[in-house]
Amino acid sequence: MTDLTMTDLTLSGHDLRVPRAVVRHGETPLVDVADLQVAPGRPLTIVGESGSGKSVLAHALMGTLPPELVPEGTMSIGPARFDLADRRGRRHLWGHHVALLPQEPALALDPTMRVRHQVAEGAPGWRPRSTAALRLAEERLRDLGLANAGSAYPHTLSGGMAQRVAYAAATIGGARILIVDEPSKGLDPGSLDRLADLLTRHSAEGGLLVTITHDLRLARRLGGDVLVMREASVVEAGPVEQVLSASADPYTRRLVGAEPSRWRFPWMTVGAARPAEGEPVVAAEAIAKSYGETPLFDDLSVEIRRGERWAVTGPSGVGKTTLGNALLRLTALDRGAVRHSEVARGGRLQKLYQDPALSFPRRVPLAAAMRDVVRRHGAEEGRVRSLLSEVGLPLDVLDRRPSQVSGGELQRIAIVRAMLTRPVLIFADEATSRLDLASQETTMDILMTEVADSGCALLLVTHDVDLAAATTDHRLHLGPADGAALDQAGASVPV
Amino acid sequence: MTTPLLEASAPLGSRRRGRTTRRVAGVALAGLVAFAVVGPLVLPDPAAQDLGRFLEAPTLAEPLGRDDYGRSVLARVAHATRLSLVLAALCVATALILGTVAGIASAWFGGWVDAILRSVSEAFVAIPALLVVLLVSALASGGSLWALYLGLALAQWVEYFRVVRARAGLVLGSPAVEAAGLLELGPVHVVRRHLWPDLRPLLTTIASLGMVTSILAMSTLGFVKVGLEPPRAELGLMITESFPFYDVAPWMSLAPIAVLFLLTVCFLGLRSSEDNA
Repeated sequence: MTDLTMTDLTLSGHDLRVPRAVVRHGETPLVDVADLQVAPGRPLTIVGESGSGKSVLAHALMGTLPPELVPEGTMSIGPARFDLADRRGRRHLWGHHVALLPQEPALALDPTMRVRHQVAEGAPGWRPRSTAALRLAEERLRDLGLANAGSAYPHTLSGGMAQRVAYAAATIGGARILIVDEPSKGLDPGSLDRLADLLTRHSAEGGLLVTITHDLRLARRLGGDVLVMREASVVEAGPVEQVLSASADPYTRRLVGAEPSRWRFPWMTVGAARPAEGEPVVAAEAIAKSYGETPLFDDLSVEIRRGERWAVTGPSGVGKTTLGNALLRLTALDRGAVRHSEVARGGRLQKLYQDPALSFPRRVPLAAAMRDVVRRHGAEEGRVRSLLSEVGLPLDVLDRRPSQVSGGELQRIAIVRAMLTRPVLIFADEATSRLDLASQETTMDILMTEVADSGCALLLVTHDVDLAAATTDHRLHLGPADGAALDQAGASVPV
Repeated sequence: MTTPLLEASAPLGSRRRGRTTRRVAGVALAGLVAFAVVGPLVLPDPAAQDLGRFLEAPTLAEPLGRDDYGRSVLARVAHATRLSLVLAALCVATALILGTVAGIASAWFGGWVDAILRSVSEAFVAIPALLVVLLVSALASGGSLWALYLGLALAQWVEYFRVVRARAGLVLGSPAVEAAGLLELGPVHVVRRHLWPDLRPLLTTIASLGMVTSILAMSTLGFVKVGLEPPRAELGLMITESFPFYDVAPWMSLAPIAVLFLLTVCFLGLRSSEDNA
């Protein structure tokens, strides 16, 4: 007991220092960093592409690595020193001193427990059915603007609300050191802003904040220091403003350049120059759809012609994907009709999915699935090979099953598959929202090059306004309250 | 997608153990099948009586001895095993094809097709399987092989139907099938690339269980003298017939029991434990 009070005293108001941390999987180093330091009130953000070892580092600090990964090194919180290889030595810190906000909070919450009870479990001095802990949980939830969510089950919450519930559960124990793992995954900008406010407040109140992300906008918002990681080691470190705006390092510059607002590609000018051609490929007339009592869109009319690039934007849960599906006639409508032109017959309206792994038959090699497409659409011999080399993949990638290919590569294979049908419209449903910035840039470049070359229309569903601005010239914004609003950027045909 | 720190590596030891189990079961089953195929060809007629040699103890020439009519127990067991395996395989194949086709049709077309197939299947579920067999046997003339086959197949198809319908519903509603629809790849592609690879591991598991159920059901019926009639060599019948002599000629009852036991264990060991996620 004295030990614990000792730690209580010694841990407050001190820096977190990691002189050196190495994590290996067999012989391969996954993380090799030195001289990490986080001070109260000065957040540290670790950025880098997928597979650079960011999350592994976070779990090494937390002491939650899977047993196959072997950590080495030490970390110190003030005068207290901890051996990273000793997984159990830091357990007593969890919740009260160190907390981790996990990836995909919707999956981290227990689906069978009411929100209030899960949050209360982390409260200091929690016992089953303790009313003090429940009261504290209610209070925390109210602080986060979730006063009514206490008795809800997690599946009824939106992504942003689930994120805030997870935040309440992680911080209710009074942890000063907060490690946040990829908070931006699947969150729309509004929800991400609210979370960023919470994290900033935690830091401003003297907390230590370590955020792992591939979202550079979040890194800029949080301020403090940033650490750029690549292939297990640190490429560059320093204050955010300096590293992310005036970096000397080529890798950092590439990473920053991968943000949609900074893209410069040849296809970005082609779209504006090409006049929309003839008959609309897809025309919706006064369509309406609602889920239960909630109307998604009502009396919406839209016409998409060849060569046009449309973006459907808006916060999550307003029916962007439903609208896209309705335009492809994949979902039944309450009112109105969608007409497809003659040229769209024969499988020439194609869709790219948010999770490409789900859009291929999961138990057969990709080659078998691809062969059926080639045969059905009479693509000429060698077309698959040439398309694959255009997207930068070797032919033998098709020998694998969908689960054995990374998300970015699989999305490129999905683009190849869609292109085999010589499509007139491609509907990209958040096709890059789960990829890191660099893969998103590559994938979008490939998609847009194909779109520009073939002259087909694009319908992009995204919550990323910058991405929509960089790739499209027609905008369809869905809002939660007022239904749909048409908003046309560029000089194209008004509807 | 969630990036787990490491792909969850399935415990290697248990997978290897599963493979060894399956190999041993496969070899033992192959041995039994060989016995059932070759035995009846080389062994003497199972119905040939030699009353002078009744209840003769096992010898080198007659390893399982002779029964109360002086018939060779080894020859009778070989014939009985062949009968059990062939009839069980026929029943399982019929039930599997019927159940799978009905299950896929039900999930594919929905609506009234689904409603009709589901109510028919529920009617079968409501009657215990053995009762279905008894009903069919009662309608047909006594001891007919056809009645037994039809009864067993009818009692089993529901299981395939329900499993296939549930899984096919999931697969057909997946984005992968939606994408196949947009690519207009047609029903053959959907069945061959999406449904069949997904259903195959499930079906092999149910089929190996179904073999066990059929063999046991057949011998149960033989045991209560409803199924096949003497003098036909059948495992259940042989057990009943040997009961009065269990103290003087234990080999008579032990042989069919051992075959039943081995067949059951082998088919249960064949089930694939992995790959049905």
